Parts: sequence; structure tokens; C-alpha cells
Amino acid sequence: MLVRTKALKKHFNIGRGQTLHAVDGISLAIEENEILGLVGESGSGKSTFGKTLIGLHPRTSGEAFYRDQPLPANFTAGDHLRYSKEMQMIFQDPYSSLNPRMTVLDIIGEGLFIQGQHKSGEIRDRVAHWLQRVGLHPDHMSRYPHEFSGGQRQRIGIARAMIIEPQFVVCDEPISALDVSVQAQVINLLDELKQSMGLTLLFIAHDLSMVRYVSDRMAVMYLGSVAEIGPSNDVFFEPRHPYTRFLIESNPEPDPDLERQRAHQPIIGEITSPVNVQPGCRFADRCPEVMDQCRHETPQLIATSEGRQVACHLFD
Amino acid sequence: MSEPLLSVKNLEVEFDTYGGTVKAVRGVSFDVIRGETLAIVGESGCGKSVTVQTLMGLIPMPPGRITDGSATLNGKNILRLPPKEANRFRGVEIGMIFQDPMSSLNPTTTIGDQIAETLIVHRGKSHREAFNMAIELLEKTHIPEAAKRARQYPFEFSGGMLQRAMIAQSLACSPAILIADEPTTALDVTIQAQILELMLELQRTEDMSIILITHDLAVVARMADRVAVMYAGQIVESGSVDDIFYRSAHPYTLGLKAAMPSNTHERDKSLTPILGSPPDLFQPPPGCGYCTRCPHAMKVCADQLPDNMAVGEQHHARCWLQHESAPMIEALHQAG
Amino acid sequence: MSLFQPSSDMFERLEAQDSVDIIARPSLSYWQDAWVRLKKNTRAIISLNIIILLAIFTLIGPLAWRVDPTLQDLNQVSQSPSMPKSALVVDSYRGWDGIRIDNYEPPQEYPKSVAAPTNLRTQGMPTTQVVRIAWDRVPGADGYNVYRNNRAPLGFADLGLPLGATYGDELGYEDRLSLEAREYYYSIVPTDGLDEYEVFTQLIVTPQLAITREEAMERHLIGSLDQVSVGDEVTIEFHPLGTDYLGRDMLARLMEGARVSLFIGILAPLLYVLVGIIYGGFAGYLGGQFDVLLMRFADFVVALPFLLFMILFKIAFGIGPGESGIMPMLIALVLLMWPATARLVRGQVLQIREEGFIEAARLLGAKNHYLILRHIIPNTMGVILVTLTFAVPAAIFTEAFLSFIGMGVAPPTPSWGSMCNEGVKTMLSHPHELFFPALFISITVLAFNLLGDGLTEALDSKMRSRD
Repeated sequence: MLVRTKALKKHFNIGRGQTLHAVDGISLAIEENEILGLVGESGSGKSTFGKTLIGLHPRTSGEAFYRDQPLPANFTAGDHLRYSKEMQMIFQDPYSSLNPRMTVLDIIGEGLFIQGQHKSGEIRDRVAHWLQRVGLHPDHMSRYPHEFSGGQRQRIGIARAMIIEPQFVVCDEPISALDVSVQAQVINLLDELKQSMGLTLLFIAHDLSMVRYVSDRMAVMYLGSVAEIGPSNDVFFEPRHPYTRFLIESNPEPDPDLERQRAHQPIIGEITSPVNVQPGCRFADRCPEVMDQCRHETPQLIATSEGRQVACHLFD
Repeated sequence: MSEPLLSVKNLEVEFDTYGGTVKAVRGVSFDVIRGETLAIVGESGCGKSVTVQTLMGLIPMPPGRITDGSATLNGKNILRLPPKEANRFRGVEIGMIFQDPMSSLNPTTTIGDQIAETLIVHRGKSHREAFNMAIELLEKTHIPEAAKRARQYPFEFSGGMLQRAMIAQSLACSPAILIADEPTTALDVTIQAQILELMLELQRTEDMSIILITHDLAVVARMADRVAVMYAGQIVESGSVDDIFYRSAHPYTLGLKAAMPSNTHERDKSLTPILGSPPDLFQPPPGCGYCTRCPHAMKVCADQLPDNMAVGEQHHARCWLQHESAPMIEALHQAG
Repeated sequence: MSLFQPSSDMFERLEAQDSVDIIARPSLSYWQDAWVRLKKNTRAIISLNIIILLAIFTLIGPLAWRVDPTLQDLNQVSQSPSMPKSALVVDSYRGWDGIRIDNYEPPQEYPKSVAAPTNLRTQGMPTTQVVRIAWDRVPGADGYNVYRNNRAPLGFADLGLPLGATYGDELGYEDRLSLEAREYYYSIVPTDGLDEYEVFTQLIVTPQLAITREEAMERHLIGSLDQVSVGDEVTIEFHPLGTDYLGRDMLARLMEGARVSLFIGILAPLLYVLVGIIYGGFAGYLGGQFDVLLMRFADFVVALPFLLFMILFKIAFGIGPGESGIMPMLIALVLLMWPATARLVRGQVLQIREEGFIEAARLLGAKNHYLILRHIIPNTMGVILVTLTFAVPAAIFTEAFLSFIGMGVAPPTPSWGSMCNEGVKTMLSHPHELFFPALFISITVLAFNLLGDGLTEALDSKMRSRD
């Protein structure tokens, strides 16, 4: 087990005495050299979970462990430096995640520089190596981010995270801002890096098909908590939690025949905001199989079969 | 095939920018038939949005410029209408919904009033009459408690509800064509499913044609009757939805399909990315725009723009591989 | 359909292409890119050139135009702008006996009306030293009134300045009343010794600019008395933009005034923008309660009345009326004007703090000072530059306004504002004294504003191409 969280919570004070329960008690474990996919709608707290886990947000309560060592609740610059060779992140927006005033050389070499490598020749060599590794030309290292396309910029972001050779990488929607043809470039690159460097990835995305394709295991989040977790194909082809079922039924297939055969009964209602949440199942309002129990008792993740857990009273 | 409702011929649009002139749309032709859904699919920067925005007169000129082409609706070229008449077309004959409904609704006016305004302007209704019709329209788009919602402001609506309100507004004048420009890109899958379902339902009840602009092949598979694939400002392949998905005739269409994970297979097939980037439309290449990324590129592709060649009935591809002298490519002929 | 028919060899496969992306466009940094865009904005470039010219005017001008701005040229008070002038060297003034009729007999009785004077003429050469006119006797008249007008009279009631009266036996008049080298309309009206007859004769005289040798010596136009002789011409002091009401050279004063105006106009914004950057940067970066506290204080400062503080500072510094208020003005500007910049920078910092590249740098172990120096400051420079460009004209305007109402510089030091103040007094008779300083203020303020607009556009990240 490389990374583990126990009842991790992240609440935001949004003023007027209201609290946003962005992440509300998540316990999960990520094995070494696996890709854990984290899916959910916007507002489900999946990005906040990733950022809290890696120390970009101080956590409200709960625990997080890296190689069974507890991670600090509130990361200082020193903590980040200490863990930088272990944990890195790839960001969603390839535009805002690269400083527009810095050259590609400075952006990718930043990690080496911060960690005390000040010989420009060595930084240059390593940056050139990594540019090639992510499929960019080393001659482009003196260029600025705005001269690159979205996919190229995302590859620069990957090179920046990878140059210090971390063990665990949080990928926060790394492909959702990219075109289809470019998404595959990035996915294949991540897959190749995982194989060659023995990486462990937390892959956060809202695209179910892509998460199923990329990840070994998949966790489905709804309003700050995990609804279901298990091997990707199992969860995708045999969803158990009613929310997962709806999510997968809503996911269109790039295949006209299949689409024609499918019964289209879209899920009613919309995700509510996780402000001042009451006890009970978060999905109760939209669930067609809602029971009395669901209204006042929060379901816990329960193992239903080998490697699979569901948080639903139907499986109690 | 019946007479087309809207016929776009050889549309060319350019933009003057700091860097030079961008040829955003380079000779696009398509027909829209009554009651059908035409999907225009392509990646960002391929010119699909510019094409429909030109039809709606939403391109600022300058810097934009229509250098060639026509778009015929009811026997009139809507690209060359005087501004007053063009305004009558917009919102009446053609309705449009956008990716970001928040930016196309006025934040200081209630939803009901905004829909009513369309009716007051174009249909000459009284305010009370128009407001009641607006509530009916909101009900038609399945907005719960429509009468109460009509008195609310856009910020009180969620993304999905806003998109419904946009659809209600675009339906106000019973348009013959609804243009949907990436209507679900900003929405979650569950909401996307709701909106797509709503569009299909309204298409049936209102007897509308839909032009759906999207980058998502899965949405195309769900919605479209006919598909036009755009790349680098041109339609590279067009045909029925089955033609496009099961009998792809252009390597770009094939490439797009190979780059997407398919849900029917176990995880055995790896994704095949399309290498490189689309050409810079400041200086479009003399030959095929896809040439530098195409796995089957030939000498002719680099120098000569291929014609729009017929592959089947109603199925066309702008690719030299469809030429009689071209070698057989297995992938193209086994697809489907 | 095109007529092109490809030959079969054109269907050969192209060799597999390099999978590495090549970017062909030339590389441009943020500032290079902004400069390219600014260069396409004609208005901004014209403004930039005007500002450069203004800097040359202020800094190099006084070296080229060596005229003391405090020197009074009393011979050329309130001169209009003109070309270089030369003056005729004349002897020093010698008295004139005039033209008299010997054995003059006053008329026995005064007729009801008389004829207009005839043969009205000048005597000797009319110069700015003296104009002498003479006329023939009018039968029946027992005296003459002499009038002078700056323009053609409209009628008998509009003859201009009454210069004097002569008796019946005097048929000449000598005018030495502040003559300038311009056209004068002299009129002679016969009288009965007391009352005027309603007839007059008019003479147009253009005196020539004249100077005596002694005067020329005194004004350092010549080195020694025998350098010129009577009848020669000497070039007199040149005032291209004229002189003010005390005969001081306008051009030299505008240059001197520009120093004061631009000193305040550039130093004050530089200082208060710097204060604003530091203050706003701290507030934005620290955030939370700190931010709230700091910004409330900034709101408090905004509410303080500027003029009151200016007066208080003058008193605190012991500066009485009529003494220079430049330092209090500078201090008041710096102390009271920073909150706008502070708010702007705070907003920027708050926004940048949330950007992905800051989070990425934090994950790499970056410390606060590194984040601020390397990421936050470079990304606020564009906005700061624009603020500065707009702050300069505002400060110039404030200085001009304060000097105009007498709160700024003290005489004899000129500033554009105080020159306007002085010019207003002679606005109707000598408009150039107001026009030039006002023109300089307007052009400077406009140029900085247009440049600011251009910069805003050129640095706006939204307008930059993303792909």
C-alpha cells in the first residue's frame, strides 16, 4: 500500500456560518504501481480530495499515510520539499498551470532548481532529455508556453512533474481540456511512464470511458464521499450502487447501433450542493430505490465481493 | 431525399488577427433536411463553430470576413441579407443554443422576461401573453415549477437548468432549425443525457431540424442522422451516421475512432493517438490538411487538395485514397 | 471538381514522418509579443513618440534654449509668438519742438462746422521710440485732439485712446506711449479749443522696432557702443512662443515648468505605485484576516480628503502662502493615492495565487520568497505598468490643478499649472499666455492616457492567441 487515507475530510468555510463539505470522510488505499481512477460529477469533491491528499489544501480532519508514514495535515514549504520526490501532480488546465512569463526550460527545470541543482548545464541536459521523452523537440526549450498547443502544454506539465522522478502522481483531470486525438497522446504517455518508472497514479476524471480504460481500479464519488470502489471493469460492467448505474447508463457510447438499442431513461434531478449536509445517503433525493433508512443513516462502504466495496443500504 | 431546408454552399470565412489572416472556414458545403439532425463534428479550431456562427450572423466583421459562399434558407441567401431582415431570421427561422448558457443570458433580467422578450419582439405579443407563453415553454423543457422559475434570475439556475431555459428561449418562435453549439460540453454526463433526451423529444414534437456542433463522437452516435466531419476548416467526410461510424472513408475519422476508448471491449485494444497537431490556418497547406498526421499519406496528398469524392450514396470523403488509382488500405475498407 | 488528374506515381507512400512536433513560428517572449502588438497601435506609438519628445524637451531643451526663464524682457512684455526680429539702431531720444504757427491768431468766432484736417503725415521715421505726426491748419479750428486706435475705427465714436490735445497753433504731435512694432490708426479731430467738431482725419502708421545703442549695450545685444552705428540693424531677443505679462520668455518657462510638472507627475506615481504594490502584494499573498485588516485600512485612506491633507502638510512643514508647496504635494500624493494600486495588485495576487503554476511550484518545494519573486511579481508587471501609465497623467493633472489654485509652486518657479493661472488674467488680450501651458498639459495627459490604452490592449492576456 503506497497511499492510504482514513476518514479524510476537507470542509471549506464559505461565510455566513455555512460550511461546504467538499470531501466528507474518504477512506481508501492505493496500491503500489496501480492506477486508481476517481470519477464523479463536478462538485463531487474529487479534485479537492486529490489536492488535500497531496497537501495543497490543509485537511480538516482524518488521516493520510504515505508508505505507512503519516502525512502532515498542514503542509509547510519544507514538507512539500521533503515529499516532492515522492508525490507530484499533473493539472487540469494546461493554460493556467504553466507560468506564461517563463521559458519551457525554466518551467521543466524548476523542480531541479528548487531542489538545489543550480548548474544550468545539467538542468539543460535533463530538460532536453525529458522534452524528448514527452515527444517535444529539445530545441523548443527556450520558447514560452503560449506558443504550444493544449496537448503540447500538458506534456510540458507532465515533464515538469516527472523530472524529479516521483513515485506517486495525482492526475487532476489531465485530459478534460484536450481534444480527443490529443487525449490519447497524453494517456499513452502516462501509461508508458507508469510502466517504465513504476509509477502509482491517482487518475481523476469525469469521463467514465477514459477512466475505465486507464485505471486498474475505479472509485465513484458523489457529494464528497465514495459511493463505490472496485476493479474498473467490474464497476463499469456490473455497477452496484444506484448512482454508478445511472452514471454508466448516462454515458453515451461512440456506436450508433448500441445507442439505438439502449433504453434511455435519464436520471432525474441534479447534484445538490454539499453545503451543511445532513446525515443520510447523499444520493437519497435522486435515487429510485430510496428507502426510509437512507434518509437519516449515512451508508458506509461495505465489501460486497472480492475487492469491491459499495456504500449503499441495499447491500447492508 | 427531400428538398433541403438549408443549403450551405462553399462557405469561406477569414479572420484578420495580429499574426495575419486565419482562413478559419475553407469551402464548406452541407444541406440540412427537415426533421433530421446533422452533426458537425471536429476538434477545437477546425472551424465548426465559426461555420454556424456565420450562419447566425454572430461573427464580428471586422475582423471576420465572408470571402465566398452562400447559405440558402426559404430561397433566400441569409448571408447577404440587409441587417434588419437578417435580424428577423435570427431567433425566428433559426434558433441557437450555446455551450455556455450563462454568458448568453442577461444576468439582470428574469428568465421568463428574457423568453417573453423574444416573443414580444418577433411575434408582437403583449407582455402578459408572452410571459405566460414563456412559462409554457419552460414546462415544455421539463423545468419543474416553471411558473416560479420564470421569475428567477439566471444565477439561481444550475448549468443544466440554464441550458433548458436556453432551449426554451430558442424554441419561442418555433424555428425550423435549431443550432446547438456544443450544448452539453460544459455539463456532467447525467445532465448531458437529460439535455440530449430533451432535444430529441422536442425535435419530434416541434418537427425541427437540428444542427449539432460537437467534438464528442459518443454524442454524435446518440443524436445524429447525418454527420459531417470537419478538419482544418473543411468537411473531410460526410454521410449517414452509420457510414461515418461503420464505413469510415477518411483516415481522420478512423483516427478519431481509434483514439477513443470503446466500452464494448475489455481492455485489450490500446488507444492509437493521432500524432502531431492540426495545420496552422495562417498558412493552410496546399494539399490535404491531414497529410502530415496521416498514416497513409501519399505524395499527391502533400501537393494537391483532394476533391470531395463520392464513396457511396450520400457518402463523401475528401481523400486521395478514394481515387481509383490509389492503393487499397485495409483499415479503410474493413472498417465496420 | 478540379481538372487535376494525378499520375500513378503520385500515389506512392510518403515516408513515415517524425512524430516530434515542430513549431515553425518565431519565438516571442511576453514582452516581445506585447511590443509587437503595441507597434501595430498607431495612436499608442504616436503617443509614445510625443512622450519621448516631451522628455527631450524637458531634459535637453534647456541646454539648447539658453534663456533664463526668470529674466524679464520689459521691452517685449506680453509679446505674441513671432519670428526673430531685428531693431533699427537709433540715436537716443531728442526733444521735438513740434510744428507751430508763428503769429497765431485764434479765430474771431467759432463756426458751426469746420473741414477735416488735411495733409496728415508723419514727421521723420516712425519708430517704437517715437512717432511724430503733423497736419495742416484747419480754418476756424482752435485746437486739435489726437487719438490712437489699435484697429480701424468704426466711426467718430470709436477713435480709440485719446492721446492728447493741442492748441490752435500746434499742428504736430509726438507719441511715445508704449509703442509696439504694429499698425496704429491715428485720428485728428479739430476742436474750438474745448469742444470737438464731428470730423476727423485718419492716418495709418506702422512704427519700426527701434533701439538705441545704449539700450542694446545694456541688453547685451552688442559688445561695445561702436559696434553699430545709427541706421544699422541689430537682432533683438527672440521669443518664439512670446513672453508673459512680466516679459519672461514663454518657451524657457514651459521647459522649466515641465520639470516641475513631470517631476511630480512621474516621481509621485512611481512612489505610490511602489507602496501600493508592496501593500497590496502583502495583503493578497498573506490573505485571510490580515488581508481584511489591511484592506479596511486602505478603504480608510481612500476616504481622506486630499486637499485638506495638502493644506495640513503645508502647515506642518511651516510653508506659508507664496512658498513652494512641491514637497507637501509629493508627500500628500504618495500618502493618499496608493490604495487604488494596492487593491489592484491585491486582486491580481489573489488570482495568481490560485493558478496551477503556483500549486505546481509549491509541490516542488518552493518557499514563499521564491513564489513571490519568480511567479507572482513577473505576472503582475503588466498590470502595474498599465497602472503607472495611467497614474502619470492623473498626477500631472493634480499638480496643474493645485498650482492653478495657488497651492503648488511659488513664483518665480514656473509650472504648467501656475503658468495657466497667470495666463488666465490676460486671457482676452494675450491668449497665448494661457494657450501654451494648457496645450502642454492637455497633450501630455492625452499622450499618457492613449499609451496606457494601447498597453492595456497589448498586455491583455485574453487577446493573446492560445494556440
